Amino acid sequence: MKLLVCIKQVPDMESRFKPDASGIWYNEADLAFRMNEYDEYAVEQAVQLREKLGEGSELTVLSIGPDRVVEAIKKALAMGCDNAVHVQDTAASAKDPWQIASIIAGYAKDKSFDVIFTGMQSQDRGSAQVGVTVAELLGVACTTTIVGFAYDNGVITAKRELEGGIKGAVTLNTPALVTCQLGLNVPRYPTLPNIMKAKKKEITAIPAADLTTSESLAATTSFHPPAKKGGGIVLEGDVGELVDKVIAILKDKTAVLR
Amino acid sequence: MKTLLIGEYREGKMLDSTYELLGFAQQFGGESTLLLVGSETQLPAYAGTLYLADAASCGEYNPDLHKKLILETVQKEDPDYIVFVHSSYGWDLAPRVAATLKAAQVSEIIAIADGGFEVACCNAKMRRTVKPLTAKAVLTIQAGAFPVLQPGGAPAVVKISAEGNGRLAFVGYEPTEKKDIDLAKAEVIVSAGRGVGKKDNIPVIQALATALGGELGASRPVVDAEWVSHDHQVGTTGQTVSPKLYVACGISGAIQHLAGMKKSDFILAINKDKDAPIGEIADVLVVADVMQFVPALMAKVAR
Amino acid sequence: MFLDLTEEQKLIQGTARDFAKAELEPVAAALDQSDDRAPLMANLKKLAELGFMGLNVKEQYGGTEAGVVAFSLAITEIARACASTAVTLSVNNMVCEVIQAVGNEEQKVKYIPKICSGEYAAGGFGLTEPGAGSDPSGMGTQAVKDGDYFVINGSKVFITSAPYAGVFVVWAVTDKDAPKGKGISCFLIEGGTPGLIIGKEEKKMGQHASATNELIFDNCRVPASAMMGKLNDGFRIAVAELTGGRIGIGSLALGVGLAAMDYATKYSTERVQFGQKISNFQALQWMIADGYTELEASRLLLMSAAWRKENGKSFAKEASMAKLFATESANRACYSAMQMLGGYGYTQDYPIERFTRDARITAIYEGTSEIQRLIISREILRNFS
Ligand SMILES: Cc1cc2nc3c(=O)[nH]c(=O)nc-3n(C[C@H](O)[C@H](O)[C@H](O)COP(=O)(O)OP(=O)(O)OC[C@H]3O[C@@H](n4cnc5c(N)ncnc54)[C@H](O)[C@@H]3O)c2cc1C
Ligand SMILES: Cc1cc2nc3c(=O)[nH]c(=O)nc-3n(C[C@H](O)[C@H](O)[C@H](O)COP(=O)(O)OP(=O)(O)OC[C@H]3O[C@@H](n4cnc5c(N)ncnc54)[C@H](O)[C@@H]3O)c2cc1C
Repeated sequence: MKLLVCIKQVPDMESRFKPDASGIWYNEADLAFRMNEYDEYAVEQAVQLREKLGEGSELTVLSIGPDRVVEAIKKALAMGCDNAVHVQDTAASAKDPWQIASIIAGYAKDKSFDVIFTGMQSQDRGSAQVGVTVAELLGVACTTTIVGFAYDNGVITAKRELEGGIKGAVTLNTPALVTCQLGLNVPRYPTLPNIMKAKKKEITAIPAADLTTSESLAATTSFHPPAKKGGGIVLEGDVGELVDKVIAILKDKTAVLR
Repeated sequence: MKTLLIGEYREGKMLDSTYELLGFAQQFGGESTLLLVGSETQLPAYAGTLYLADAASCGEYNPDLHKKLILETVQKEDPDYIVFVHSSYGWDLAPRVAATLKAAQVSEIIAIADGGFEVACCNAKMRRTVKPLTAKAVLTIQAGAFPVLQPGGAPAVVKISAEGNGRLAFVGYEPTEKKDIDLAKAEVIVSAGRGVGKKDNIPVIQALATALGGELGASRPVVDAEWVSHDHQVGTTGQTVSPKLYVACGISGAIQHLAGMKKSDFILAINKDKDAPIGEIADVLVVADVMQFVPALMAKVAR
Repeated sequence: MFLDLTEEQKLIQGTARDFAKAELEPVAAALDQSDDRAPLMANLKKLAELGFMGLNVKEQYGGTEAGVVAFSLAITEIARACASTAVTLSVNNMVCEVIQAVGNEEQKVKYIPKICSGEYAAGGFGLTEPGAGSDPSGMGTQAVKDGDYFVINGSKVFITSAPYAGVFVVWAVTDKDAPKGKGISCFLIEGGTPGLIIGKEEKKMGQHASATNELIFDNCRVPASAMMGKLNDGFRIAVAELTGGRIGIGSLALGVGLAAMDYATKYSTERVQFGQKISNFQALQWMIADGYTELEASRLLLMSAAWRKENGKSFAKEASMAKLFATESANRACYSAMQMLGGYGYTQDYPIERFTRDARITAIYEGTSEIQRLIISREILRNFS
C-alpha cells in the first residue's frame, strides 16, 4: 500500500507576528518554525498505519516551501516516514490554498496513493481547504476533522469531531484522504537515533515550477493585527435593565447566548 | 449581487447557526436564498426561498450528495456567493463545491471588509483581508461572528433531491463523554471571587455556569477558603484559560488572576467597584452587587 | 564561519524542548518539594528510550552519535524545565563517555548499552571524597590487589544518583607511594556489589530530585577485570572526563538562567506599579539587557567548547571558560529575576526561588569557579612562559 502525508512548516504560534514588506503576510525574520500541529497528528496516524501494514507498504511525506522546511521533513522521516518529497518553493506563502492543493494533486495524480493524510488546517493560514481540495482534484473520497481512525482491508472507519463534543462515525473506501484534528492521537517524539538515521533517507527535491499549473483564485490584500479592543463598556444602573443590556450584548458579541 | 446560503441540520434538527447566515446576508446586502438538507418539519423562520432536500434520503452528512444538490441549485440560481458556516459541516463541504466550480474560497470570515473579507490567521492573533478573484466565490463565516437574524415567517419551499450513495457511509453519532472538569477546554467559564461573599453563594455562580453551558472557575481566595476545590482556580497558581466567554463575579482583577484569563475572547465582569482593575481588561463591566445581578441574569438566561 | 545549527541538531533541540515542556515542567515543582522520585524515574526512562543518555556515544553501544553540540543543546532545554533531571542526564552521559573512552570492549558492551537504554536509571561518577574535593588527587580510598581481585576501602561523598545508579566509575589509590596523582586507578563497580554501601542522602539547598549520597567501601571485592584503563593511570582519565562534563554543567546552568530570565521578563510586562508596567522602568530594562547578554555570551562559549570537542580540537580552556561564565551568569540571572518579581519571587508560588536554588550548585560541582579560573589561567600562562 502507498501512503502519503502532507505537512507544512509554520511559525511557533507563541511568536509575535509583524507584516512583511509586502504587507500581505508575516515577516519571517526572528520566527522559529516547526511542523504544523495538525500535521503532526497526520504524520503520527500515517506512521501508525505504516507500522501496522509492515513490509510492502511505503509512506511518503511531502512538504512545499523554502529550504527551511527540510527540518520539518526530517522530523517526519525521524517519526517513521520512509521517504520524502520537498517541493522547493520560496514563494509558497504567496500561493492560495487552491494552488497549494493543485501542486500536491499534481505530484500525487499518477502515484496511486491509497491513503493520504493531511492536517485539518494550518495554524498560520487556517483556511482548512487544502486537504479537501486535493481529494477533489484527485477524485478520491475524503472526510475531515478526524479524531479516530481505523483501517481494515480497504475500508477506513473514521470519527469526525462535530460541534459540542459530539462525534460522527463514517466509513470510506480507499483511495481516500483524511484531514486530522487534535485529539486523534499523541504524536511520538522522534527518537534521537531516528533523527540521526533520517539523514540517510531519501528526500526528492522537485522545483515548484514543475508542478505549478494554476493561477491563484483569491488574493490576500492585507495582513494586520486585529483592531485594538477599545476600553470596555461600563454599565451602571438598575439591575433589571442591566440584565437586559448584558443579554443583548452577549447575543451580539458572543456565540454563547442564543 | 446574490448569495446562496447553505443551512445546517443535525440529529433531526435545523441548527441555529443557519440564522447566522441570514445575519451575514443582511449585512452583506443583495438578494439571498437558503438551501437546506433537512426536513419539512424543521423549517427556518424566514420568508424567502428555501431549497429543501430531505435528510432522510440524502443523509445528514453525505458530502457527495450534498455537493451535487448545491451545484444543481447553483446552476438554477446563479449566485455570486455560496455561503457556509465555518463548522464541521461547512469546512468539509465548501472546498468540494469551490473546487468543482473552480471558484475562490474565503474561509472563516469574521467581518466584511473594504474590497474583501476579514479573516483570522496565525491562531487568531492576526487578520488578513482576502479578496476572491473569481466571478463566483465560496465563503465560510466564523461561528458567532455575525449576528443571529431570525426574521420570522414561512419560507417558499422548492423541493430538490439527489440520488446515489456517495463514496462515504455515515455510521452514526456518538454522544459527548462527561469528563471531570477541564477548565482549559471550557468555552464558557463563570468564576467566583471573594466578592461572592460566602460559600453558600457558590451554587448561584455554579448555576449560571451550568446555564451557559460552561464550568465554574474561581479566584484564589475562594479556593483557599475551600469554597471550591483547587481544580477550579484560575490564575498563575491555577489554570490558564481562554474561553469564548469569561464571567468574573466579584473578582478584583489582580495580576495573578489576570495572567490566567486575560486571553479570553470576551470578558464580562460584575463588580460593585467601578474602578476595580478588572475593568481594564473587561469588555463589559457591570457595576452591581454580584448577588443581586447574577440571580437576575440567571432568571432570564434560563428562560 | 557558520554559527547555525544543523537540521539534526535543531530537531534534537526541538525534541528536548517539547519533552521538557510536556513532561518535565508540570512535575518539576512537585519533584523539588516532595521525596517521591517516581516521576523522575519515569522521565529518565522515557529520556533514555528517546536516546538522551548517550548523545556522544557510538551507535554500536546504544548511543545516539549526535555529537557534543547536540549534547549541550539537549541539556540546556531539559534544564529550562527541571535542573535535577538535567544533572542526572549530564552525569549519565559523562559516565557513558568515560567507559567509551577508556573501557575495554567487554566493559563497553556490558555497561554502556544498559545506561543508554535506561535499563540502568543512572550511572555514578565516584571521585570526590571528604578530604579530596577540589583536589581529587589527594584521595584516600584504596584498592589493594588480592590475587585476581582488588579489595577497596574508603569512602566517597556527594555522588550524584548513587541510590539508583546501576554502575559506578570509581577512582582509588593503587600505589600510595607514587607521586601525587600517579598512583590512582579507575574501576567500574556495579551497584549492589557486596561491600559497596550507599550512605546517607545529603539534604541540599536545591536540585532536590537528584540524589546526592555518600558511598562507603567496606572491603569491597571487585575482580581485576573491573579496572578501566591502565594501572595507576586513572587520574588522567578523571581530569579528561571532567573537562567534557563541564560543558554539560555549563549548559545546564544556561537552561536555568534562561528559564529565570524568561519568566521574569514576561512578568515585568504584566505587573503594574506607579500606574505602568514595571518593564517601563529603566532599572528593570537594564536587568533584562544584562541578563540576556550574559546568557547569550554563555551560549556562544558553550557552543565553541562543544564544537571544539566534537571536532577533535583542544577544548580544556574553552570548557572551563564556558562553565565558569555560564554558571556565574545563571546565578546573576536568577538574582535579577527574583529582584524583578519583588516579594512574589521569594515565594514558592513562583518558580524563581527554585531556579535560584538550583542554579547555585552549578558554580560548585564539577570544579568550582575558582578551580575553573585556575585551569584557565594555567592554560593561558603556559603560552607566556
Ligand atoms: C504568590 C501568589 C500567587 C497567587 N496566585 C493566584 C492565582 O493563581 N489566582 C488568583 O485568582 N489569585 C492569585 N493570587 C491572589 C491575588 O493576588 C489576589 O489576591 C486574588 O486574585 C484576589 O481575588 P479576588 O479578586 O477574588 O478578591 P479581592 O481582591 O478581594 O476582590 C474582591 C472583589 O470583589 C468586589 N466585591 C466585593 N463585594 C462585592 C459584591 N457584593 N458585589 C460585587 N462585587 C463585590 C470588590 O470590589 C473586589 O473588587 C496569588 C497571590 C500570591 C501572593
Ligand atoms: C549536589 C552535588 C553533586 C555532586 N556530584 C558529584 C558526583 O557525582 N561525583 C563526584 O565525584 N563529585 C560530586 N560532587 C562534588 C563536587 O564536585 C565538589 O563538591 C566540588 O568539586 C568541590 O569540592 P569540595 O566540596 O570539597 O570543596 P573544597 O575543595 O573544599 O573547596 C572549598 C572552597 O575552596 C576553594 N578552593 C579549593 N582549592 C582552591 C584553590 N587551589 N584555589 C582557589 N580556591 C580553591 C573552592 O573553590 C571553594 O570555594 C557533587 C557535589 C554536590 C554538592
